[in-house]
Amino acid sequence: MHKGYLCLILHGHLPYVRHPEHEDFLEEDWLYEAITETYIPLILIFEKLVEEKIDFRLTITLSPTLVSMLCDHLLQERYLRHINKLIELAHREIERNSWQPHFQSLAIMYLNQFCKARETFEKYNRNLTLAFKKFQDLGKIEIITSTATHGYLPLMEICRESVRAQVKVAVSHYQSIFGKKPKGIWLPECGYQPGQDEILKEAGLKYFFADSHGVLHGTPRPKYGVFAPVYCKGTGVACFGRDLESSKQVWSSIEGYPGDYNYREFYRDIGFDLEYDYIRPYIHPDGVRINTGIKYHRITGTTDHKEPYIPEWAREKAAEHAGNFMFNRQKQIECLCDFMHKKPIIVSPYDAELFGHWWYEGVMWLDFLIRKIVFDQDEIRLITASQYLEENPRNQVITPSLSSWGWKGYSEMWLQGANDWIYRHLHTASERMAELVKIFPNTDGLLKRALNQALRELLLAQSSDWAFIMGTGTHTSYAVRRTKEHLLRFTRLYEDIKSNSIDQDWLAEIEYKDNIFPEIDYRVHQ
Amino acid sequence: MGILRKIKQKAKRITQLRKGIKYKEQSVVKKSPVEMKKEILSTDELAIEKAKFSYPEVGRLPRPMPQDLPYQYDRDRIVLQVRDPWWIHAYWEVSNATLERLRNELKDEFYNRAKRVLRVYDVSRIVFNGQNAHRFFDIQINEYTNNWYIDTGGAGRSWCVDLGFLLADGRFITIVRSNTVYTPLEGPSWITDEEWMIPEDMFARLYGMGFGLGRSSPVGKAWQERVKKALFSGALASPGMASMASPVKKIPKEKKFWLAVDCELIVYGATEPDAKVTVQDRPINLRQDGTFTLRFALPNGKQIIPVKAVSSDNIQERTITPIVTRETK
Repeated sequence: MHKGYLCLILHGHLPYVRHPEHEDFLEEDWLYEAITETYIPLILIFEKLVEEKIDFRLTITLSPTLVSMLCDHLLQERYLRHINKLIELAHREIERNSWQPHFQSLAIMYLNQFCKARETFEKYNRNLTLAFKKFQDLGKIEIITSTATHGYLPLMEICRESVRAQVKVAVSHYQSIFGKKPKGIWLPECGYQPGQDEILKEAGLKYFFADSHGVLHGTPRPKYGVFAPVYCKGTGVACFGRDLESSKQVWSSIEGYPGDYNYREFYRDIGFDLEYDYIRPYIHPDGVRINTGIKYHRITGTTDHKEPYIPEWAREKAAEHAGNFMFNRQKQIECLCDFMHKKPIIVSPYDAELFGHWWYEGVMWLDFLIRKIVFDQDEIRLITASQYLEENPRNQVITPSLSSWGWKGYSEMWLQGANDWIYRHLHTASERMAELVKIFPNTDGLLKRALNQALRELLLAQSSDWAFIMGTGTHTSYAVRRTKEHLLRFTRLYEDIKSNSIDQDWLAEIEYKDNIFPEIDYRVHQ
Repeated sequence: MGILRKIKQKAKRITQLRKGIKYKEQSVVKKSPVEMKKEILSTDELAIEKAKFSYPEVGRLPRPMPQDLPYQYDRDRIVLQVRDPWWIHAYWEVSNATLERLRNELKDEFYNRAKRVLRVYDVSRIVFNGQNAHRFFDIQINEYTNNWYIDTGGAGRSWCVDLGFLLADGRFITIVRSNTVYTPLEGPSWITDEEWMIPEDMFARLYGMGFGLGRSSPVGKAWQERVKKALFSGALASPGMASMASPVKKIPKEKKFWLAVDCELIVYGATEPDAKVTVQDRPINLRQDGTFTLRFALPNGKQIIPVKAVSSDNIQERTITPIVTRETK
């Protein structure tokens, strides 16, 4: 009889990057890389598990912007173009490495991976959300949503209307894609502001996740720490706190699994290593070197010297680490059972992109972990948050603390010198949007289109990704530009709407460029 | 020369803006995004940047789009946001009309003796009416500042901030008052009373027994210690958005001078376009004109590369065998 549960969550999110006005756009690569290295490998292991009739439970966030991009025809086409290029490159690499048999075998490994990716992509009609939906309908995974454009809610507290819009647009969008309402939500960056659970409740959401101190520093003190969910006082929305121990084992760049010397080295990509003229067709058209995804070396050690990657060693390590992770969770559960009068749940969320993209062997590790949990022991069971609540409906009531899983645990990542300037503009835009909704409670035709587009621009400007990128200090120009562009478009729409002089051509142009959430209703912003 | 000066002036204004210092009280600063970023971009990014800004002509617009966000919105407002348990951030602006009014009312004082001040009130657990704060402290600012990070000195309290003038005679004039914010606790709560609940719909489904909202026994001391240990064993680095900030970071070490060198070999040739060619017994493709190019990574050692061409009628054949040796000292 199992003693406790493990709730694994993979958080899949990318900001909305779609530039139809350009043939080739650097930042769109984030999506293509994630598809090839994370989403498709995950789908492949799920397929196999289902085929072998192995029962598993995972929670997966697919943010509305990510879902929108996966469903978009233009980006789907561009992905095919991208993967075809990679296949071509892999072929050339196989030839180029004719006298280096070890590297040649790695090139063959990549060729197989890319061909499988293309095959899988076509199999699901180029729309990977159909794959995830399939596994959800089979009861193996639970897909939860995030806010519409991954807006960081604690810094929108001054304009609750925007918080409401971010949540409600996400829920409607989820419903239109997956055919039912989402039960849970992944708050962007786990950013929880006390009181905002009211809005989650309004939208019909039953639970969310917070970082450990969000629960542990809650009032009153949670009796079971993060090892059981708590209900938010006043609303009854459940809050699950992250377990730090299981997080550290995977996330930590120094102590965690991904740093093992046998794993693939991320920073030795042929896009940077190889001779310029050879690699030129496969990097950015502008001539800037980028990652291709083909890497031949393993981490080896702390120095710059890197040895060739040996897949068999890496695979063995992944299996060993999966066993180790499971063993540690078993020990954790055993200890907890001594103190708790109910079955403990260990909540382990990770960014989906960690698996496969940053940590190449991550997906393999996950596969090993699931199989080991199912076959090699019976103390812990995989579970989703909804299931835990159904089995254990009685939980403590507290008010969780303001918190995030970002740098330093609060809002500093998005509120610092590099990005604090955006808020006076975002907040003003929010107020103006609320004003427009009041002035125009019912409209149609051109005016309605303009109002809907205004909300789109506002939501896009609110993506926490822009503030985050500005905070990291790298590639900030793109983030700054996106913030300003969307705010300027919003402002112009606001002025045109108020002065009753909407420019049809210009509106059509930005509707085409910023085409997210086609079914949006501006009145949700109130 | 004039252009250079203009750029320098704009650069100065940008740095001042970034520090939250107003350059001129009422000016609306407009500058193109490209100019603003010039100082900050490296050559690589500039190359990408340029490519991104090449928009195709889409037709004439009746009104030109502004190039940058306005410096201010001409209103009286001060907004507080919480950064973490100890720090809050305030941004504000004052409308021209209000400044005009204050200038007329205060006359001399406005320019000389009145100090611009942020008055930070501790309003924990009260309904603030302007007079009943537990305590307050002042932060002096100058007229060019439009935002500030405030160290509240303690966690878990509520704060409200007035932007105002502190006159020489000690009077304080509020220009505008902020919203109230609550900073979170910096550790576990001291309150340990418990409250339990089952959601209505779940309760309805339960068969027979009621669960009630009882009070369980107090938490074991050992468990509290365990929880506390987990809390203070060090903060984790943020995972953030994985595609931008890798958790699998390069361990920062002293940047030593480095050099990487490798060799490749290009083997190329030509024959009849319809011939069949093999290199090291492997068939290769010819271009339409009968030429071919092969490119190989060249490791240390000797490579023997027989290139054999056979005519399309299988009657004639030629072989040439370059032999290449590489060593590295």
